[in-house]
Amino acid sequence: MRLIKTILLGTALSLAALPALAKQDIIWWDFLSGGDGVRMKALIDAFNKEHPDIQIKGTTLEWGVPFYTKVRTASAVGEGPDVMTYHLSRAPLGLEEKVLSEITPKDLEDAGLKTGDFFDAPIKAATHDGKLYAVPFDIHALILYYNADMLKGSPYLDANGKLTGIKTLADFEAALAWLKGKGVPTPVTYQSGGDAGVWRVFYTLLSQQGGEFVTNGKVLDGDNAEKAAKVIDTMSRWREKGWAPEQAEYQASVALFSAGKSAFQLNGVWEVPTYKDLEKNGKLGFKWSAVEIPPFMGKRATWADSHAFAIPNEGAKTVSGEKRAAVMKVIGWMEKHAIGWADAGHIPAYKAVTESADYKALQPNATYATLAEAAAFDPQTRITGVASPAYDASLNIIAPAIQGYMSGADAVQQIKTELQGKLK
Amino acid sequence: MAMIENRRKKSLIALTMVTPFVVTFSVFFLYPMLDMIRISFTDAPLVGAGHWVGFDNYLKLFGDRLFTLSLKNNAYFVALTVIPTTVIALLIALAINRLSGFRQTFVMSLFFMPYVLPVSVVTELWAWMLDLQFGVLQPVIALFTGKPVAVFKNPYWVMPMVAVVTIWWTNGFNVLLFIAGLRNIPSELYEAASLDGATTWQKFSRVTWPLLWPVTALVLTLQLILQLKIFDQIYLLSGGGPFNSSYVLLLKVYREAFQSNNGGYASAVATVLFLLIVVISVLQFQLLRIRRAS
Repeated sequence: MRLIKTILLGTALSLAALPALAKQDIIWWDFLSGGDGVRMKALIDAFNKEHPDIQIKGTTLEWGVPFYTKVRTASAVGEGPDVMTYHLSRAPLGLEEKVLSEITPKDLEDAGLKTGDFFDAPIKAATHDGKLYAVPFDIHALILYYNADMLKGSPYLDANGKLTGIKTLADFEAALAWLKGKGVPTPVTYQSGGDAGVWRVFYTLLSQQGGEFVTNGKVLDGDNAEKAAKVIDTMSRWREKGWAPEQAEYQASVALFSAGKSAFQLNGVWEVPTYKDLEKNGKLGFKWSAVEIPPFMGKRATWADSHAFAIPNEGAKTVSGEKRAAVMKVIGWMEKHAIGWADAGHIPAYKAVTESADYKALQPNATYATLAEAAAFDPQTRITGVASPAYDASLNIIAPAIQGYMSGADAVQQIKTELQGKLK
Repeated sequence: MAMIENRRKKSLIALTMVTPFVVTFSVFFLYPMLDMIRISFTDAPLVGAGHWVGFDNYLKLFGDRLFTLSLKNNAYFVALTVIPTTVIALLIALAINRLSGFRQTFVMSLFFMPYVLPVSVVTELWAWMLDLQFGVLQPVIALFTGKPVAVFKNPYWVMPMVAVVTIWWTNGFNVLLFIAGLRNIPSELYEAASLDGATTWQKFSRVTWPLLWPVTALVLTLQLILQLKIFDQIYLLSGGGPFNSSYVLLLKVYREAFQSNNGGYASAVATVLFLLIVVISVLQFQLLRIRRAS
């Protein structure tokens, strides 16, 4: 009798426990289609293999406005994903649109994370009114790539073949002139004909002067205007002297460096895997590395943004309960395995990973990881961030000004009239 | 009695035949349009409801520099495309009309081919042909200007070049309309004119042109409506730049709604564009009809 009772009780208990053990399908949306997309897919596959009870179903959508529009409309009707990647620079607009659901302390606990585990800057960018709305995954920033072979014989390479002696704008321009004199077609390459590339360089050089894009609800107010004009005039000069490419689209700007036509490249960390892979297959043909952008304009600063994980706010249909715990488990796992993501060039926002021996062995990642302290995030406004009006202004005003259609001062004036009205 | 019954039956049949159209039209066109007009009086975001703000959005439009600039750019684009594309289509149609049999069909399909392509393919094709570093058309441009020009990033070149792409893309359809119109002109008229000793020019100006006028009026009106709605090519080729020199009304609608989350304001711009198209096209069609009547 007792045996039967036990069996019955056991059956009942296991039946009750069944729903909790049921397989959770997590709908995941991201916008990572490049080399980093491949690494993200590897992470997802590894997670799925380790967790038979939680399966991530990933979809990659188009980066930029299309992604954020889809998130916005899908969440409004309760058809959004369970978890998505989100740019922290976009968080202010995301909050205004109410598409981000709060990540509660309980959620963090489910993920096995604490805010103290992360670098401060991205946590600050993900926090609003004391509430956390996204879990930072990385810091990605502009870095200076260099072709060591091309710099051979110049004073800018030390005995170990590492970049040296470039501390100021004058140093950098002297190096560019030296390269040009040696017949290098385009000494420094960046995406000079596109919104994102222009914005990143512009914002880096502005921040290096201590300049701010938005202060007290005013765009480029006070002496920020002069600082911005100085940046645009500097970028114009690079083009005039034939140092930087004319109207280079993104792919062309990368190709200039990988084809050995440029000795320097100002681009994001995410191209690191591209050159690593080329090098591994013996297709690159030169020695290269990358460093934090030197303080050209005086101060250490470099444009930066963060990829983060967020859970869409879908009103009554927002992910909750068991499923939410599973989503947080996914996020926690990703953070702790971010070394796979560091391989894509990004600096993990989860500090423990960057402190690991594995990360310290990763080159040139460990070299430029110093930039985490000098990261300059876009101001937290509705006109800045990925695919924002500020990006449009970069393509519409700064890029042509660099081509010589307008002086820096006039361009700044136009940026101000253009963007001020959108700030509300 | 029988007659009344018959009429009732007939109207019932008519009703059932008309219903599918009326329903689809109301659900997918009329209702969204009326709702757009309603939203234009609110401060609604992209998704969700807003508060009633009266004519605020419309008043704001007057002070919006980008709105007036877009209006101007739309007008400029219409000037660059509508009449040129009609003239070119007419010339091509006249030339094709002189051919016959298989050769005519073949040449006609050549001119119609671009029209079949999706806009993304068309713009990608032209973006590559006009690419600053690799474009096959750059040597041709360099012949005139002395150096290659990044046409879609040059404030003076951008609109004319988008117009060229648009004409190349859409002209085939106009050619088709003109050829249909030309075939409708009875050949006896030309024979009679020839007998009376009319020259080729006289045959064109006295026979072809007046009899083709209804088609010409149709083409002009269709083109006007189409070109006022310019968006895709601009979005894909220049993004409205440089210095807003190719910023048009629909791009403003898109940016306000999807980028800046201002559904109400975007609806106001869209409503203005809608009214503009209605007024201008009705006016134009009436004007063209008057010309024909006189």
